[in-house]
Parts: sequence; C-alpha cells; structure tokens
Amino acid sequence: MVSDSIKVSIPSAPKDFGKKKRANRSAKLKQCKLDVRREQWLSQVKNKGSKEKPNGLGVSPCENERKNDMENLETRRIGRGNEEEKENGSIYHEFDSDSPSHSPTGSSVLSCTDVGTNFTGSSSSSSSSSGGCCSGSITEEEEEADDDCLDDWEAIADALAANDDSKEGSQNNNSCPVSESSPKFEPSVRSDSISPELEPSVRSDSISNNLDSSLEDLKQECPKTAPPRVAHGNSRAWRPDDAFRPQSLPNLSKQRSFPNTQRHYGQGGLPWHCSNPVNVPSCCPICCEELDVTDSSFLPCTCGFRLCLFCYNRILHVEDGRCPGCRKNYEGNAEEAELSVSGGSLTFRLSRSYSMIARGYDFYG
Amino acid sequence: MNNSTGISIPGEGGGGGGGSTAATSSWVSPTSVSTSGKRIQREMEELNNDPPPDCSAGPKGDNLYHWVSTIIGPPGTPYQGGIFFLDITFPSGYPFKPPKVVFKTRIYHCNVDSAGNLSLDILKDGWSPALTINKVLLAIRSMFSHPDPYNPLVSGIARLYLADKAKHDELAAEWTMRFAK
Repeated sequence: MVSDSIKVSIPSAPKDFGKKKRANRSAKLKQCKLDVRREQWLSQVKNKGSKEKPNGLGVSPCENERKNDMENLETRRIGRGNEEEKENGSIYHEFDSDSPSHSPTGSSVLSCTDVGTNFTGSSSSSSSSSGGCCSGSITEEEEEADDDCLDDWEAIADALAANDDSKEGSQNNNSCPVSESSPKFEPSVRSDSISPELEPSVRSDSISNNLDSSLEDLKQECPKTAPPRVAHGNSRAWRPDDAFRPQSLPNLSKQRSFPNTQRHYGQGGLPWHCSNPVNVPSCCPICCEELDVTDSSFLPCTCGFRLCLFCYNRILHVEDGRCPGCRKNYEGNAEEAELSVSGGSLTFRLSRSYSMIARGYDFYG
Repeated sequence: MNNSTGISIPGEGGGGGGGSTAATSSWVSPTSVSTSGKRIQREMEELNNDPPPDCSAGPKGDNLYHWVSTIIGPPGTPYQGGIFFLDITFPSGYPFKPPKVVFKTRIYHCNVDSAGNLSLDILKDGWSPALTINKVLLAIRSMFSHPDPYNPLVSGIARLYLADKAKHDELAAEWTMRFAK
C-alpha cells in the first residue's frame, strides 16, 4: 500500500503540495509521512554544518530546525502581535482561540510558550500535540508570510501531526540523538517503513518512469536545501558493502526485471534483511536461471532445498515428483495436498499458495 | 527411439525431447532446451575452474551435449596410472534426466561391462537433478577403489573379487597396463 501511494503521488508531490495540504488530509497521510521523512532527512543535512547547536541534549538537527523556525515564527508573530495587541489583546490569546478552527487534525491546543518548551525537549509525546498546534498557527500565518523556509516548516509540522500518533517509537529513534552522524542516521531511516522513497532499491520496484520522476523530484528539492549531501546519500544507499543492504539482493537489473514482486517489502514495518534469509542461492541449482523474489521465498521441501517454480513444476508433473535435495516425495507438504486437485484450476491454485507462502516469509521472517 | 538418437541432437535439437514430453505437458517443452543448455554451460565453467582430482571433462566438439571425459586411475588401486576415457551424453531433459556415461577404455571391473556401460546408482534411479557431472565423475572415481560386487554387471569379475581379491587385482592391473596406458 505504501508503494502504491509512492507510485501514484510522487511525481506530482512537490508542485501542488500546498494545495494538497488543505485537501483531504487523511487521504494524503501516507504522502505526508513520506514527505516529512524526506524533509527531516534533508533538514538534518542542512543543519549539520551550520545550525547545529553545541547542546548535547538529544535534540536532533531536525528539531533544531523546527525550533529555529518556531523562533522565527514567534518573533514574527510577536512583532505583528505588538501591533495587534492594541486591538486584540495578547497574541497568545488569539493563538488559543484560532487554533481549533485552523488545525486540520483538530488536535489539542497548546499555548505558544508550551510549544517553545516542547521543541527544546526531546520527548515524542509532546511533539505530536505541539505539531498539531503549530500547523494550526501556521495556516493562519501563511497568508502573510510565504517564504520557502516556512513552507518547509509547514510540511514538517503538518505531516508530523499526522505521523507521530502512529509512529512515535520509530520517530523517536530517528530524530532524537543529536550526536549521531549521518551514516548512522541512514540505516535507521532505511529500516523504517517510511523510507522506501529514499531507498533506491525499493524505488526500483516501481516502473522506470516513476523512478526517473522521483529522482527528478529529489533533485528539484535538492537545490533548496542541500544538493551535495543528497547525491552522496543516494550513492551511499547503493553501496554494495552496506551492512543493511539485503544480502540476497544481487544487483539492480535483476530487481528491475521483476517489477511487482517486491511490492510487499515496502509495506511491512520489518526491515528488509529480516525478510530475506541469508543463504538463499541467487540462481536455481537445477536450471541455473536466476531466482526471483517469489522463487527465493519458495521453500517446497522441509530439507531446505530451493529451486525455481519452473523446475518444481516440471519435477512435480513430468518427472518423479521427488525433491532433488533429499529425494523424498514432495507430497508430504501442505501445498502438495492442494495440488492433488486436477484440472484447469491447478495452476491458479499453485500460484496462490506460493504467494501466500512468500508473504508469510516476509512478515514472520 | 532409444536415448542415443535423441541425445546426439545438438543444441536446438531439444525439440526432439520436447516432442516426447509434449504428450505429458505442453508448457514444459519450451523451457527444457534452454534449461539444459544453460545448466550444462554452467557445469562446464565450474569444471574448468575447479576440476575434481584426477578427472577432466569437456565437450567433444562444438556440441554442448556430447562430452568426453578422462579419469586417471587412483593410486592404491589396480587401476593406478591408467587413463580411462568416458563418453558423456546429456539428454535434452537434463538435468531432470541423468547423463549417459560410457567407458570408452576397456576396464576389468565388475560394474562395467564389455560395452563400457556402468551400473552406477546415481546414473539411474538414484539420479537427482541436483547432481552435477562433477559429482558423477567423483562417484566413478570412487568406483575404482570401491567396486560393488553385489550389484555387478559382470558377475564373473564380481565373484572373483569376493573370492580372491588378490587375483582380481592382478587381472585388473594387467588390463589397465594393456588398455589404459
């Protein structure tokens, strides 16, 4: 499901994100997650050199940016509020009264001072409520202040508000430790379910058009924030000796040749390397053709001998039906009982049982 | 219609095998040709890179399905020092069907008849598609040092092996000197 939303919405994401934000939020929730992850990643890069403060308090660069932007916002607001105070009274009072109507999530309302303190802290529970509040205040603000910085901030705040409820744990992991260097940050992003957009190997399972467009998409955003680091990060993600790269993944071209079979990898919360057993051969020992993902997650015999579905079918229907590894009959297995039904539905039943097996491996390791 | 006619068909000749399997299942036949070809090619590379001891094998000419192999008689056996040539022919159904191996060099061995056919379990019922020519050659090589007189092709040799092993070894060494050097 995640990969679906990636496919559909990535190419158009940067252009009309502002509009989307006001549209149906729940429908865009997935996209928001993806975008906020990208923003976090980019903003971390952006803040790494210049903005990072020498505090060891566990505030991530991302949150630094949030804080900085928030301070911008506050000063701006206070400047404006000084004028308005004459008419409306306290700026904070206006904040409170306006927020519920402007906050799209309808989350709890905090006063502005609360928001400020929350951002300096690192607890994730506070960030969810403060995120909602901030997005409310920004939507109010955005008619008058429309610079890029604020847009970025909006994107973060919007998506965080929706994101934090469901993903508090991983959010905390990703954003909190400030002393983490970027390479350390990348694996934690990659193991997250949000990461597929940043993860080129997952990206490769979408159609090549989407791949190109999403690359362009990334490039479009790069000049705004940090071009060199993004390029570096991409190449780093492909590094063959990367510890988090799935070991049974031989090369990109192989993945591209099977576009749809890997979709389920993106949607589970599990990292890739858990769903792929390490010792799967890269090609069928019988016919020497490369094993695709379905094949490599297909374990027809308890002895552990793996082979491709073509060879399995041939052994089952034309040959003697014994496992090449242990010479026992395949009939002891569960799917074989289902296969004993003859007729036209045979192949369909076959493929269905295989896909269930594959999914089972993905989710339960 | 026996194996040998079907086997000698080169490369694309898998159609002959495909025709025979088409009766049982039509969708298998297209894969069988490329399957055996790629598999045999892979085995050839592996044999070149990492040959088993005292063994060599490779295509006889430009026909991938027809190989010639040599096995040097292992030390400590009456066949020591002899060079034994074997013909290996791959059926189009390989690796689902076993390769056919025939001794071209005469040998005094209870499991090899005068025509060079050998009784080796893994080349018949014991065949598994997971086996390779490499393993077949190793099995034949171990057959030199461990004959199986209880499943003989030449019962006279088997009886002599069981009754008088020294005499058997002497004869075997004599045949090796005469035919395999």
